Amino acid sequence: MSQLSGLASPVVIGILMGGLYVTIALGLSLVFGVMKVINVAHGDLVILGSYLAFSAITIWGLNPLLWLVPSLPLFFILGLLIEKYLLNRAARMSADAALIVAFGLALIVQNASQMIWTPQTRALTTSYSMTTFTVGNVYIPLVYLLDFAAALVVMVALRQFLERTYLGQAITAASQDRQTAELMGINPGRVSQIAFGIAMALAATAGIFFGLTFSFNPTSGTALLIIAFGVTILGGLGSMVGTFIGGMIFGLSQTLGGHFLGPTGQLLVPFLMVLVVLTIRPQGLFGR
Amino acid sequence: MRSYLLLMLLIAVAVGLTLLPVVGAPQIWLLYLFYFFVFLAAANMWNLLAGFSGLLALCPAAFIGLGGYTMTILTWLGIPYYLGIVVGGAVAALFAMIISVSVFRMRGVYFAIGTLVVPAILRLVFLRWKPVGGDLEGGGAGYMVKGVRAIPPETTYWLALAIGLVSVILVVTILRSKFGLGLAAIRDNDISAASSGIDVFRLKLSSFIIAASVMGVAGGIFYMNQGYIEPNNAFDINWLMIVLLATVIGGKGLEWGPLTGTVIVVALRFQMARYVGISSLIQGLILVVIMLVAPQGIMGLVRDLRKAANSRLVS
Repeated sequence: MSQLSGLASPVVIGILMGGLYVTIALGLSLVFGVMKVINVAHGDLVILGSYLAFSAITIWGLNPLLWLVPSLPLFFILGLLIEKYLLNRAARMSADAALIVAFGLALIVQNASQMIWTPQTRALTTSYSMTTFTVGNVYIPLVYLLDFAAALVVMVALRQFLERTYLGQAITAASQDRQTAELMGINPGRVSQIAFGIAMALAATAGIFFGLTFSFNPTSGTALLIIAFGVTILGGLGSMVGTFIGGMIFGLSQTLGGHFLGPTGQLLVPFLMVLVVLTIRPQGLFGR
Repeated sequence: MRSYLLLMLLIAVAVGLTLLPVVGAPQIWLLYLFYFFVFLAAANMWNLLAGFSGLLALCPAAFIGLGGYTMTILTWLGIPYYLGIVVGGAVAALFAMIISVSVFRMRGVYFAIGTLVVPAILRLVFLRWKPVGGDLEGGGAGYMVKGVRAIPPETTYWLALAIGLVSVILVVTILRSKFGLGLAAIRDNDISAASSGIDVFRLKLSSFIIAASVMGVAGGIFYMNQGYIEPNNAFDINWLMIVLLATVIGGKGLEWGPLTGTVIVVALRFQMARYVGISSLIQGLILVVIMLVAPQGIMGLVRDLRKAANSRLVS
């Protein structure tokens, strides 16, 4: 019995924290859907979002959540530029070229962060960082609730955008069948650009919440990329609900791995799961 | 006639390089060349995978790290380092066979990410695991290579030279064999290759295992020279960066690409050793710029220039 009640905390926290992975994975799968490119720099761009928020709160004393307002358009524009000048050109050459260019971008972002903010581990500390709620005998830190709430908001907003707006429908069409979409008068270049911009805005959002929840350093991004990829594969491309469930499962695997195997288990279990998921269903569990 | 000249040139260069420590070349040259040979072996093998076999394997660190760890652990069990290096290659090859069961089910980007996870997992496993007990450091702290001080520096140099040469000879012979012809067919179009009776899976698996074993040996030699191995370094993404950069700068999918690229990677590494942070940043920039501007690398440019010159002669 005491064993089970000990599990309540990691289970609740794992599910809540899964929200972070949902936000990151949605950006990754949006780009993959439209451009057929896995942006291996996505995790590092998330961490860049954390670092910019870190600077904003240390220089101006801003509330990190308020920093969302300027950082979303900033990252959106950065995304448009990266897509136009780097990834799109590479993607037209070959899938390998796009992956290698994205890897180069990851190196650039990682090392630029290291030079600007030093390799030291940082965290976004606020007045509510330590706030916790107690439900029964489970302690729930406020930031984990924020992660989960943010994921829900992002999911609903993204879904509404993809279903209701012309641009959103164009993105969906282009990710389902690029050629047919082009025949229907959709400009695939522009659609890819916007999709990448949105993915970057999602990275900025995820970066702020990640920084509120965990401490980070310039190399934290790689693990995020791997887990977000696992979430995307498990959930299936283009499946919002699948991605959501995938995020929860990976959040759980991380907290339960830590609970049973100690600190290294936190990443070991989700990494092994990525490999297992890829082995069983190389095209994803709920995917098309 | 051309291949005969090539052979003579290779032998002459090899003999010259072998004699360097004997004729008293400066230690720093030998050190540069040591790094050059180890990186060359890894880059040549990565080119065999990514350039010729259509396998964008992002896991060179897994093979190199396993080779290094095998050699190191065996020295603690009383097995001499030269045997340990060979066993390291075998362990890496065996490991490649084992993970191929999983990663060879994946294609394209799935294969790339699937292989990217492998060294990340190994790093965590070796952070937890102490393969040999007793009074060792082990686990996350890493291991010293036992008895490393007794190894003369010339031996280290010759071993590196040997694996560098082996990698060059392997690539040259593979590309001129039926195996290489099959690989070229797969690279150009794997469906039509399969329908012409080429066993695509077996060919890809063979080059995966060959590359793993050579990288494993190279890893053993590299960490023998370091005298120390720990998980964060052995399974670091830095290894991927080195082979990727060397191959892409020189020319991915070109026979002499990695050789050219490795010269530049080693030069960059030592010239910029004082500015560690900015060095990696610049390497990232170079990777992106080369890939976008000259996707075939330096050797690709050379080939294009030659072609242009030839066509001018004709017309």
